[in-house]
Amino acid sequence: MRDELINIKNIAVSFILDAQDKKTLEEVRMQFLGRSGKLTIAMKNIIKVPIEDRRDIGQLANEIKRIVEEAINQKIQTLTKFITEERRSKIDLSIPGILPEIGHLHPMTQILYDVVDVFKTIGFQAADGPEIESDYYNFEVLNIPKNHPARDTQQTFYLNTRDTNLNPGEIILRTQTSAMQGRVMEKTKPPLRVIVPGKNFRYEQVDASHGFEFWQVEGFCVDKHIRLTDLFGTISFVLGKLMGDKTKIKFATTNFPFVEPGVDTYIECTVCKGKGCSFCKNSGWSEIMPAGMIHPNVLRKVGYDPQEVSGFAFAIGMSRLVTLRYKMDDLRLLTNPDLRILEQF
Amino acid sequence: MKAPLSWLREYVAIKIDPKILGDKLIEIGLGTEKIYKEGGETIFDLEITPNRPDLLSILGVAREISAIEKAPLKLPKIKSDLLNLKIKKPLLLKIETDTNINPRFTAIIIKNITVKESPKWLRDKLIQVGQRPINNIVDITNFVMLELGNPIHAFDYDKIVGSCMTIKQAKGGEVFESVDGITYSLPKGAVIIKDKDKIIDLCGIKGGKNTGTYQETKNIILRAPVEIPTLIRKTSQALGLRSEASSIFERGVNKGGTVDAIRRCVDLVLELAGGDIASTLYDIKKDEFEPWSVSLRLERLSFILGITIPEEDVINILTRLNLNPKIMPNFCNPDKSKKSDYKKIRMGNLIECTIPTYRNDLQIEEDIIEEVARIYGYNNFPKTMPIGEVPTKKIPYFKDYKLDEEIKKIITSAGFSEIYTNSLISEDDILQNEEDPSQYLQINNPISKDFKYLRQSLKINLKKALIQNMPYAKHINLFELGKIYLGKNIKETSEKYYLAGISNIKSFYEAKGVIELLYRTLGINEDASTAISIIENGVYFQINITDMLDKVEKNKIFQPIPKFPPIIEDISIIISTDIKTGDIIESIKKQSHLVVKVSLLNIYKDTRTFHIIYQHPDKNITSEDVVVVRKKIINHLKEKFLASLK
Repeated sequence: MRDELINIKNIAVSFILDAQDKKTLEEVRMQFLGRSGKLTIAMKNIIKVPIEDRRDIGQLANEIKRIVEEAINQKIQTLTKFITEERRSKIDLSIPGILPEIGHLHPMTQILYDVVDVFKTIGFQAADGPEIESDYYNFEVLNIPKNHPARDTQQTFYLNTRDTNLNPGEIILRTQTSAMQGRVMEKTKPPLRVIVPGKNFRYEQVDASHGFEFWQVEGFCVDKHIRLTDLFGTISFVLGKLMGDKTKIKFATTNFPFVEPGVDTYIECTVCKGKGCSFCKNSGWSEIMPAGMIHPNVLRKVGYDPQEVSGFAFAIGMSRLVTLRYKMDDLRLLTNPDLRILEQF
Repeated sequence: MKAPLSWLREYVAIKIDPKILGDKLIEIGLGTEKIYKEGGETIFDLEITPNRPDLLSILGVAREISAIEKAPLKLPKIKSDLLNLKIKKPLLLKIETDTNINPRFTAIIIKNITVKESPKWLRDKLIQVGQRPINNIVDITNFVMLELGNPIHAFDYDKIVGSCMTIKQAKGGEVFESVDGITYSLPKGAVIIKDKDKIIDLCGIKGGKNTGTYQETKNIILRAPVEIPTLIRKTSQALGLRSEASSIFERGVNKGGTVDAIRRCVDLVLELAGGDIASTLYDIKKDEFEPWSVSLRLERLSFILGITIPEEDVINILTRLNLNPKIMPNFCNPDKSKKSDYKKIRMGNLIECTIPTYRNDLQIEEDIIEEVARIYGYNNFPKTMPIGEVPTKKIPYFKDYKLDEEIKKIITSAGFSEIYTNSLISEDDILQNEEDPSQYLQINNPISKDFKYLRQSLKINLKKALIQNMPYAKHINLFELGKIYLGKNIKETSEKYYLAGISNIKSFYEAKGVIELLYRTLGINEDASTAISIIENGVYFQINITDMLDKVEKNKIFQPIPKFPPIIEDISIIISTDIKTGDIIESIKKQSHLVVKVSLLNIYKDTRTFHIIYQHPDKNITSEDVVVVRKKIINHLKEKFLASLK
């Protein structure tokens, strides 16, 4: 009996080692370990062994069964490994992958979402307002009365007033998202932290750096005690997050009728790293974010008391952000629907 | 505004490198467009903001440099004292003016001058700033304007009929020929000067050709006015005519500077053209136009700026800006609204500034605060974040960008790439879409006829985008999420965000699936097929996002997964092809609550195979249960649609 068992083991192991595929191996398994397999039958016959030897033989049989099973398992692993390796070896790894057919978000949208997210972390909510706007919200409420020279910098499209009794010139396409300052402020009270992304329109001939439609993110913050240093801090934080912490920025004085003091923000040109190039008109710096402390006249117009509350406001030129981040040197690319452009983002 | 370095140096010592000076000027608000060399001279090309007419003069720029460089300002020496003139044989001039349309009229007459070419130094200065020298008199008036910032015009005294000047506003339509020989039809309201029978000056913009200074001119009237900015601007805009003078007047000229400008001019005329003063000084004015005072509270300065600048430093900065600061005790509580707090206690100091008349932009305390801040240097400020509590209340006009992002995520995952197109379209665009341009909102002053109307659909631009891509791409899937502008006229406009997509490869059902997924994600219960149309090149869909967002149901409620196994079977039926699959599915579902899901597996000729899942939420179901339901379904389909089991 002992010899018989050892013989079965030897044959089984040699069959297992010879097996070239999983199917043969399975046959071998059935031949020895199956219901009527040789080892199974042999083990059933242990009962016929004299009682004094039965325990030893039983142990041996179990041991042999374990060896055979292990050999099979090992062989399965070897065969699997062999198969996967063989399959991989047959693959031409240099053939490019098959891309899932997904679409691409426009670069401006990607940056816009970043802008919205960054401002959200410091408590700014987003608002959305009309593009067909009144002269009042676009100019008057912002301390830019009719015939103010500042209107020169924002040449305006006027809507046709036919079939109405409205004066030509009263209804325009907004030239700045700042138009939303008055709308939001007169409907609610401070504290306020608001951004307004949106499209604006100006009467400008189209070239590489001008378009008659452009995107801006207006922002303003009004509370009991908002300081110029808060404006500097907020702009630095936001531009650092959007353009990288190493981005260099500097501030300068400027004038917009709806702020006092007025601030302009320059960012070191990302293209030439400040050395001067065609992007930044050789200055090494790019104007990116006009801003300032909200003028007391604006606060008064929306019903706030400038001695009680103060605030800052700013505007970010979206196309300038896109230009600086992706080094796109022509604004016209932003409205070009060519997939060879869109698929890069 | 062009400022040559050597000219600036006549008024202020400049020791630093021009490039560094340019950067410093930018920081204090003088946008330095570029610094360039021409004919050996360094020239600053400056962009002047609308609030600073004083910087449209070399002296004005020198004043700013003096303030930042802490270098004293050397004013030009003016000799003529025109106040106590005794004229032996005066030339007569009758001036009829209205200070409501011409707030100040300062003038003097000089006789027996010799008109000739200007000396080289004067011609060079004008050429450096881009002007063409004409003759000594015209050049002197231009020089004085460039130096001091007050425009002056010289009239030929002998060509003024009746020795009179009358200021009035044009009725509209009058013809006027400017000194450079161009004829204009004047708009109503333009401020003009007339002599006895003709218009001789378009005030604040251009002098008239008929009374200009030429070779033969012997006697001149020099006039330095103050004009009303809005009147000048209106006329200048109506005529599309700009001059250096009009740029200054529409920003607000130095009202206190006319006399000094005339004095400077007289000095130079007597020196370069000879002659004698032939009248006393005319100075007809609405007001004395004296300096005014604006006070600054140091607490307010710290409050707005967020930093404390020591009083002596503030005084120092204001002094450098020539604002004559004086420290006064401040006894008043500035906050008068709280009467209980009103006490006559000393609230720290008040700094009272006397504002020179050339700084018309300094009117309120905040203006003075900016002056201190910009000279202190914006880049020397620390940076802080707002300290108040973060507002939690939802703002008016709130927009949820998370939803925007979610919508675009679904559309891009489905293969559509995003484009941005113009809101303004052409008449042709509208006609090609077989619509009526008169039903569209239109722009009165379009930049071209291609961009005259506001779009009422995103379709036109998407179609164009598809066609543009056809030569380069096989699979074209594009979308835009943008505004459309509805309304026949501007009284009833409404702006709506639309999501629209176009594809040349997706089938109707694929497009429908994308929109169904979008609706499902946003919890909207609507028929997706109405959003889709089949077009020549593929499929197009559009959804009114503005209206849809009102229906968004974001509160998803968890449904437990069924505890008991379902029984699934496929049933093939023969049914008329006229019957809609949607109706069949609805009918099957209605037959029993055990039917939890029905979907179409395939269609072959008049046979449709449906995949049906039977399940009970609380117990196991048996095939006997299913047999009963199936019988009911088949009977119902037989009755309703004349269908039969295959």
